Amino acid sequence: MDSALSTTKLSKKYRGANRYALKGLTLQIQPGEVYGFLGPNGAGKSTTIKTLMNFIQPTSGSATLLGHDIVKDTVRIKREIGYLAGDGAFYSKMTGRQYLEYLGELQRPVSKKYQQELAKRLQATLNKPLGSLSRGNRQKISIIQAFMHQPKLLILDEPSSGLDPLMQEVFYELINESKTRGSAIFMSSHILGEVQRICDRVGFIREGELVAERSIAEMTKDATQTFDLVFKDTAPIVKLRKLSSIQNVVENSTNSVTLHVRGDLTSLFTLLSQHTVTHIDTRTLDLEEAFMHFYQSQGDKHV
Amino acid sequence: MFSVFKWTLWQRRWSILWWSVGIVGLVVLTLSFYPTIHNQAAQLNKSFGSLNSSTLALFGGTDFFSPVGYLNSQLIYLMLPLLLIILGVGLGSSLIGREEGDGTIQLLLSRPLARSRLLLAKALAGAFILFSVTLIGSLVILGLAKIVHIGIPLISIGAACFACFMLVLTFSAFAFLLASTGRGRGAALGVAAVYALGGYIIGSLANTVHWLQKPSLIFPYHYYQSANILRGTFRWSSIVFFGIFIAIYMMLSWLSFRRRDLG
Repeated sequence: MDSALSTTKLSKKYRGANRYALKGLTLQIQPGEVYGFLGPNGAGKSTTIKTLMNFIQPTSGSATLLGHDIVKDTVRIKREIGYLAGDGAFYSKMTGRQYLEYLGELQRPVSKKYQQELAKRLQATLNKPLGSLSRGNRQKISIIQAFMHQPKLLILDEPSSGLDPLMQEVFYELINESKTRGSAIFMSSHILGEVQRICDRVGFIREGELVAERSIAEMTKDATQTFDLVFKDTAPIVKLRKLSSIQNVVENSTNSVTLHVRGDLTSLFTLLSQHTVTHIDTRTLDLEEAFMHFYQSQGDKHV
Repeated sequence: MFSVFKWTLWQRRWSILWWSVGIVGLVVLTLSFYPTIHNQAAQLNKSFGSLNSSTLALFGGTDFFSPVGYLNSQLIYLMLPLLLIILGVGLGSSLIGREEGDGTIQLLLSRPLARSRLLLAKALAGAFILFSVTLIGSLVILGLAKIVHIGIPLISIGAACFACFMLVLTFSAFAFLLASTGRGRGAALGVAAVYALGGYIIGSLANTVHWLQKPSLIFPYHYYQSANILRGTFRWSSIVFFGIFIAIYMMLSWLSFRRRDLG
């Protein structure tokens, strides 16, 4: 079976820029998979999405969506794609209904019944001009236009931004339903809890390069524990760093550290027993920390 | 493609209405004075006779108060094209330019719609709007010309209005080309306006300033001989030049737009 999305060394360098906005991106997403694309602002997420959608031309490399080349077969591909833009572009004077009618005419066939069902579930306001709606209400209509033709591949840029928690739940349901139908979903997000909850796999992009790719299941299995420790005196940083189970030590202050620990904790507690610890807090590594882990090292690199 | 055409017209419906009202107002105001002016033609010609030929050329010739002179100088040569150029250049710069500036072009292209079809639909919508407003203005000119007994064959007036439409469409296509290359709405509007205005000045003065004759050939205004059309002495092959300009601009628009980065 063809991958729903496949890229090979996909790169983009904007004219006049001295560095690549996207460099050598190679990834594959299978039908029925939900892929989260994470990275700070300017990391290359939107460039990736714009390249995949053929709004901008790749400098080198190649990509296919649903088995078709993104440049040569772009029109054919878009019959089967749902797209949601991150910048929330809209026609301010159109009502939601007119907007959906316009985009629906360009994307036949669209089931009116399903469109209405989506509008009902998302409690979308369709009779007012889009310019008069709040960001969240406009986002609901953007979600409807992306899902209304039940595409085989959804490319979503920050899809739930602006939605209230209740509507976020509805959005997650829609993602699950699409996944169940066999659709692949490629989404960028800043809401890490959301990605952890609905994605099967995540990719971390930094300075235009995919720096890591992990499945959520794998991350859960390899979960690292995090300890926040406060010592009465100076924290034994050097000794802590020598322990084999310690993955990372973050020095918060002279007597406070955060440790990322994997595996046997005996050596850590042996060391701690030799010091006076006034506070201890423990957490299991979540996506947010993985994210921070990747991007903190970027910050360190720049210092 | 028809959807883009249809919704573009829908988005511009109020603009079409108000521009039509404006053009009709200009025509009514201009032609309703014709009987009064006509009665004082000899006296007015004497007063304007003191102006030098270059200045007179800027207003469309040396004859202002004969039927052809009045209609040409007051309406067909300058004011009607000027207003339509404002509309046409505004349209040309914004049909693609606004969609790109607002990011909505990505919504359209996220649908199974080829760039060439989007470009064509937008260009046709712009031409249709321009044609509609020109047609409304032309019909009012024809009606009033008959009412005030201006004495010019209606077919000649209609032909002059058509030539005016082709001239304006040329400038509109030029603005469309600039916007299609991604220069932005402001740049497209500004450069096309300078091109139109500069062409008008150079084309008008070319008859009296000898060294401007060759440069004037590259400006569409040179081929807009509205007074000759009204007199029935126009060479229709000149209209072909507008067609050539428009075809070149549209071809360049497509070449530029089909593969360039958007947004």
